Amino acid sequence: MIETESGVFLEKTKKDEILTPETKIDKSVKPVLAMSNEKIVIETKTLDFYYNADAHALKNINIHIPDKKVTAFIGPSGCGKSTLLRCFNRMNDLISDAFHTGEILINGVDIYKEGTRLEDLRKQVGMVFQKSNPFPMSIWENVAFGPKVNGINDKDELNEIVESALKQGDLWREVKDRMQNSALDLSGGQQQRLCIARALANKPEIILMDEPASALDPISTGKIEETIEELKKNYTIVIVTHNMQQAARISDYTAFMMLGELIEVDLTKKIFTNPTQKLTEDYITGRFG
Amino acid sequence: MSTEHKTPKDFRRKVERADRWSRRVITTGGYGIIISIVSILLFLIYQSLPLAKGASINEILSMPATRSENPVVLTGVDPYLEVFYELDNRGSIKFYNVDSKALIKEDQLPLKANEKILTAAKGNLTKEIFTVGSDSGRLITSSIEMKPEYTKSGRTIEAMVYQEEEWQAATENDTIPNHIEKLTFVENSDGTRVWSWIDHTGKLWLRIYDAEDEEEYLYDLSEDISGQITSFSLSHNAENLVVALKDKNVYWFDISDFEKIQLKDRWTLETIADAVNYLLGDQAVAIGGQDGSVSVWFPVRSPANLFKFRKVHEFISHNAAIDQIYVSSRNRNFLTVDTKGNVKLHYSTTGQTQLEFKPADFPVTAAAFSPKSNAILVVDGQKRFSLYNLENPHPETTLKTLFGKVWYEGYPKEEFVWQSTGGSDEFESKLSLIPLIFGTFKGTLFAMFFSVPLAIFAAIYVSQFAPKRLARQIKPTIEIMAALPSVVIGFLAGLYFSPLFEEYLMVIFLFVILLPLFFLIALFIWQRIPEKMQARFPLGIEILFVIPIGIITLVFAMSFDHVVEQILFQGNFQQWLYSTLQITYETRNSLVVGFALGFAVIPIIFTVSEDAISNVPESLSSASLALGASKWQTVRRVVLPAASGGIFAAIMLGLGRAVGETMIVLMATGNTPIIDLNPFNGFRAMSACIAVEIPEAPVGGTLYRVLFFTGLLLFVFTFIVNTLSSLIGDRLRKKYARF
Repeated sequence: MIETESGVFLEKTKKDEILTPETKIDKSVKPVLAMSNEKIVIETKTLDFYYNADAHALKNINIHIPDKKVTAFIGPSGCGKSTLLRCFNRMNDLISDAFHTGEILINGVDIYKEGTRLEDLRKQVGMVFQKSNPFPMSIWENVAFGPKVNGINDKDELNEIVESALKQGDLWREVKDRMQNSALDLSGGQQQRLCIARALANKPEIILMDEPASALDPISTGKIEETIEELKKNYTIVIVTHNMQQAARISDYTAFMMLGELIEVDLTKKIFTNPTQKLTEDYITGRFG
Repeated sequence: MSTEHKTPKDFRRKVERADRWSRRVITTGGYGIIISIVSILLFLIYQSLPLAKGASINEILSMPATRSENPVVLTGVDPYLEVFYELDNRGSIKFYNVDSKALIKEDQLPLKANEKILTAAKGNLTKEIFTVGSDSGRLITSSIEMKPEYTKSGRTIEAMVYQEEEWQAATENDTIPNHIEKLTFVENSDGTRVWSWIDHTGKLWLRIYDAEDEEEYLYDLSEDISGQITSFSLSHNAENLVVALKDKNVYWFDISDFEKIQLKDRWTLETIADAVNYLLGDQAVAIGGQDGSVSVWFPVRSPANLFKFRKVHEFISHNAAIDQIYVSSRNRNFLTVDTKGNVKLHYSTTGQTQLEFKPADFPVTAAAFSPKSNAILVVDGQKRFSLYNLENPHPETTLKTLFGKVWYEGYPKEEFVWQSTGGSDEFESKLSLIPLIFGTFKGTLFAMFFSVPLAIFAAIYVSQFAPKRLARQIKPTIEIMAALPSVVIGFLAGLYFSPLFEEYLMVIFLFVILLPLFFLIALFIWQRIPEKMQARFPLGIEILFVIPIGIITLVFAMSFDHVVEQILFQGNFQQWLYSTLQITYETRNSLVVGFALGFAVIPIIFTVSEDAISNVPESLSSASLALGASKWQTVRRVVLPAASGGIFAAIMLGLGRAVGETMIVLMATGNTPIIDLNPFNGFRAMSACIAVEIPEAPVGGTLYRVLFFTGLLLFVFTFIVNTLSSLIGDRLRKKYARF
């Protein structure tokens, strides 16, 4: 039995045991890799994440994600790459029973700090999902959705934002004449680029991509990759991918994760040619996966 | 295993056979449902179709003029259409068998030698009693009985003639005997008899025999009337007399007080009325004009609270002057006969001329309805006797009487009225479906007002906002509501809730108004609480805050209801409603039904819309949330549009249920078929009307068929609602829900 602050006695659960006051952040633990010469945008400190008390999904994650670079998360299925990605815009908050320990900082600010507006965080950290998920609305409405819910109502301003976002998403030429058509009439690849444009319309700083090309054909994948290449000039991109060639092609840094642990983070070139860890090498060379 | 399937081939065959059989069973089931629905529809149509059938006649007997050389003055037939009789102007009554055309009996009225009958009149619609007036001034009243006798060889009709009474009109001098030129006669249900006649001097006489006091009265009405009389008629209850004159004036006398005959109304026609006759019900008078026009008139209350005769129905005109009108003893049918021998059948309530026929090229001298109004008999100038079978099962229903305004007897104007049965056969049935359709829609509307917002908000809360654990409990709880039999809801609403509602009306009103207000205040206070304290309450606990707010509101409403009633409604809301808005408050009113019926449809709307909202893929709401939309923005802009097809279908399903719901509207409405939007009134829904009246409706009768037709309307209506719901639902799904 433990006594809570409100004086109610509760059965001490496993969760309470995990969340004892002793689970403080251990400042002495260094990140697996600190890229000192880069500006750091996202930083996690001894991040542990639990889907519930019995499902420990992320273990002691310490990672730095540099500004205006593409960072790829690779690793076998179920290793926690997507979970880590979703920590950055607090999408995991939607899962009841899930909780975490440790800190996540964006631009040095704890995103769980009291008074943080979730809406502002998610405007700052955009996200593209594995399966394209355009809204059942027109193309224009899809792209304008983010700015609209964030309080922009001026039609001209919205038009400008939509055009610029679609241009950045490399979709403008294809859809400019049918902005009022349903987004669901677009092809799979176009839909995914629309989702990217939709995220860009919010003018985010960071774009999280959760296997954005895994459901697409090679040509569409190529287009997405080109788009990412173009976008990294202005945005910090974190991408989860199953496809190691894709990681090698588009990312500047690669993080290898396994069983909820961050094994190695380094320059992509280094990871793919000369990894430090034996596990990384085994995975890269296809000994397991 | 091995014993059953000896080889793999055997096994294959067995699987294929099972497949084939299950396919057949499933197909049969599917077709069975379609067939049963179609057969219900066909059955309803089959039962209500005869309503559309008009009247038809076919001749069953035509006897040439070989029987008597004297003109026939009266004719009649027994209820089984087996024996008919004729009375000629010499007083001879001859009975003939319809089938064999044989003379079966002959009788003689007690006439003197050379005395001739000038006029004859039947005095009762249900029994054969008549009076003849002779050229020697005598009124001879007789009755005929045609009684079925059951013998071994079957049924035979025994015909008897009874002499009832004789009366001699006074003569001025012996040389010119008093002639009875034209006569009308009634015997009412008390046995009181009234005769009215014109003598050879043109004077109108009225003689009354009061059966109760055994007294006689004789009046000379010519003093009140100036002019030549063309026709006159007594009402069957012996209370009214209308007299038409050559100067086109019509007089209405009230003779119900035998001591004092009163002239009640006088009006002028556009034509000379050669025939007038009271219809069944003793209200309406059919008037046939010299110009061939046929109209029905009855007294209508004037603004000065006086009854004035008004022309209400006008029928298709004859080409010649009308000289006789005969009325049916069963309904508002009447026959008009013109001088050229044309006969037309009309129905008063509907204003319809149902059929027209010409028995012969000679004028008709006498005609009659059979006692059951299932035949018409006609004797023409050549003494040819014809009997026609009359097939007219539902004369009172036309599209106009079912769906239009009708001017019923005793009503001040045209109205939609449902009043299917009355105290007696003389009742004019009022079968307008509009009040029932209106009632159904009124009940549905109130129920939807109450249930749609509640159910849909509940669905949104449960699927989007409530913590999973709570949602898992709320959903089955609401679904259990659907299992509650509607008779229980109706019973509680009608017998428990409605008196309570009436007693605490003000409290309930205050509660409904104050609850949202108090909620807003509570929310405002909640927002002022520091976030740290807010965070301490787990998500979903807000439900617990609702209860105290509800209780506080209730206590507040209960302690201030009298004050509010005093200040705003002069101390009594019901009285205030009546005195200022002329709205009557009924205990079983539409608001109560709205709650009860709403309660019954909430589970359907909730379940279906909750499913629709839950089925919106998580990826859509995730996308919206990831774009920085708040939970409510996500629900409003993404989830609800995507679920709109399902929500629409849910509302339509609820609507269909509310329209067809019977027990609740039956028990909680008071079943008053009135057209009034006032929420404090009751109503009568189609379904409840069927339930209430079908046990009393004679099978195959008009009411029975009209109720089946009501059922057909309900069927068609729910069919339209369901079709619309799937069509629009599909469209919405196509637009919003292709994921």
